[in-house]
Amino acid sequence: MTVSSQYAKPLPGESPESKPYWEAARRHELVFQSCGSCGRKIHFPRVVCPGCLSRNLQWRKALGIGSVYSYTIIYRQGVHPGFASDIPYVYAIIELEEGVRMISNVINVDPLKVTIGMKVNVVFDDVTDKVSIPKFEPLQGKGLDKKASCQL
Amino acid sequence: MSIRGKTAIIGYGETEFAKARDSENRSNHTEQCHAAILAIEDAGIRKEDIDGLIALPPLGQTPSWGMDMAEYLQLQPRFIDNLYHGGAAGAAAILYSAAAINAGLCHTVLLVGGSAMKPGRIFPYDAQAVIPFVHDFDSIYGSMLDNSAYALIKQRYKHEFGVGEEPFAQVVVNARYHASKFPNALLKTPVSRQAVIDSPMICDPLRMFEIVMPCSGAAAVVLTSAEAAGRSNNPPVYLLGGGQSIDRGMWNPAYGRNPSLTTSPIKKSAAQAFAMAGLTIADMDFVQLYDCYTITVIIALEDIGCCEKGQGAKFVENANLTHQGELPVNTDGGQLGRGQPMGACHFLSTVEAARQLMGRAGALQVEGARFGLVNGNGGSMANECTLIFGNQIP
Repeated sequence: MTVSSQYAKPLPGESPESKPYWEAARRHELVFQSCGSCGRKIHFPRVVCPGCLSRNLQWRKALGIGSVYSYTIIYRQGVHPGFASDIPYVYAIIELEEGVRMISNVINVDPLKVTIGMKVNVVFDDVTDKVSIPKFEPLQGKGLDKKASCQL
Repeated sequence: MSIRGKTAIIGYGETEFAKARDSENRSNHTEQCHAAILAIEDAGIRKEDIDGLIALPPLGQTPSWGMDMAEYLQLQPRFIDNLYHGGAAGAAAILYSAAAINAGLCHTVLLVGGSAMKPGRIFPYDAQAVIPFVHDFDSIYGSMLDNSAYALIKQRYKHEFGVGEEPFAQVVVNARYHASKFPNALLKTPVSRQAVIDSPMICDPLRMFEIVMPCSGAAAVVLTSAEAAGRSNNPPVYLLGGGQSIDRGMWNPAYGRNPSLTTSPIKKSAAQAFAMAGLTIADMDFVQLYDCYTITVIIALEDIGCCEKGQGAKFVENANLTHQGELPVNTDGGQLGRGQPMGACHFLSTVEAARQLMGRAGALQVEGARFGLVNGNGGSMANECTLIFGNQIP
């Protein structure tokens, strides 16, 4: 029997409302939902707008740029043992240019160099042959889709 | 139909707290039963007088916990629940019980919470994994649950208000000072600010001494109608006001309705509680705040109205917050000083308020205490419940 993945950390599941998000991530696209009724931008994915309860939601592609809203450097093993080898690592709230906030990691940087307000861009970590996880690194200006957010 | 002054606490109990490694002869049931019996004895009532029960389920226990406890103690309640609101549950349970008593659903409610710790991890990974949106948009990034959530809040607070580490260290210094005089505290050694700042970094910017130590223990209170309380042996501790406010989920502060990490729902819960009581922060002789981390004390002091937003750090550095000072805070040492008996701490702020208002706080007694505030905090400052108690109805 072959082991399909050596990835030791938890993988995102397949909840129906978040499936398009993970399919986009697999294509290395960061997406969020936008409410067709009140205009609210939404993350994490839902079946209704948490602002006006409209079901009229559309997926939008994010520019992939944001800034660190807050962060912590984790020095002890977290809840899942799979992260032990990453210590110390940065667990952060990223505020995307489009205004939505998301939990993620800031990688490819000395954790002690991370600051609130630091500009970051998304990078996709291909953790298995089916799953890519959006993470962030200090803004490089390379490999970015320069187009503004657009409707998919 | 206000519940102001309609109910009162007439008895309380807390078990002897123990570190996880000293807990081999304890179980969730033994802890809660011991606390319940202490409270019943203190109230001087018979078991048959209890017709309401709220028992908080220890982590990982079944949703039928309240009924299981009713069976264990052979109670026959006509009002029952087992709330899980994180650390706001105890205060919320008292508020809902007061409403139930006032509505005639029951007369006397026994409220109990607490658990026995085992060495090792408190929150199994599975606790988050069952909530798809928490798992997929938080856990997969290596969350440390409450530690990382409160670290995010503290980091943002330091950034917005240009605050250093000293005020946070002072919160621990105050807690350990009270704990050194509190018989049931586990962390009785006073500490200096420098010792707090030198303690190991766990989840930057949270250091070890700023994070509670979970331990074993349970606490219980007996709440009854004001009329029945007048016949009690203990001086009644009246519930004068209460309010609750929730604006995000349990696990992390990134996705809530409130865009600010540094203003909590306490602003709303405290405003409602004060309005119901007809009192203000200036009337409070002490406050018992849910101090699972240092940052909660600073934000709570601001949001209950002790000072302007952003001035909480200066406030804890400049004001005397001991039992002899201008605003005594957490006079039993709080969770940072006595330890965090999981589930019991939901009620311990109320137990300490009752102890003070009954004049039974010994070396830590706030002289002439008449009114006090209790705040329960659940999730990462997501669910807040504020209560105002008094040994008189103004």
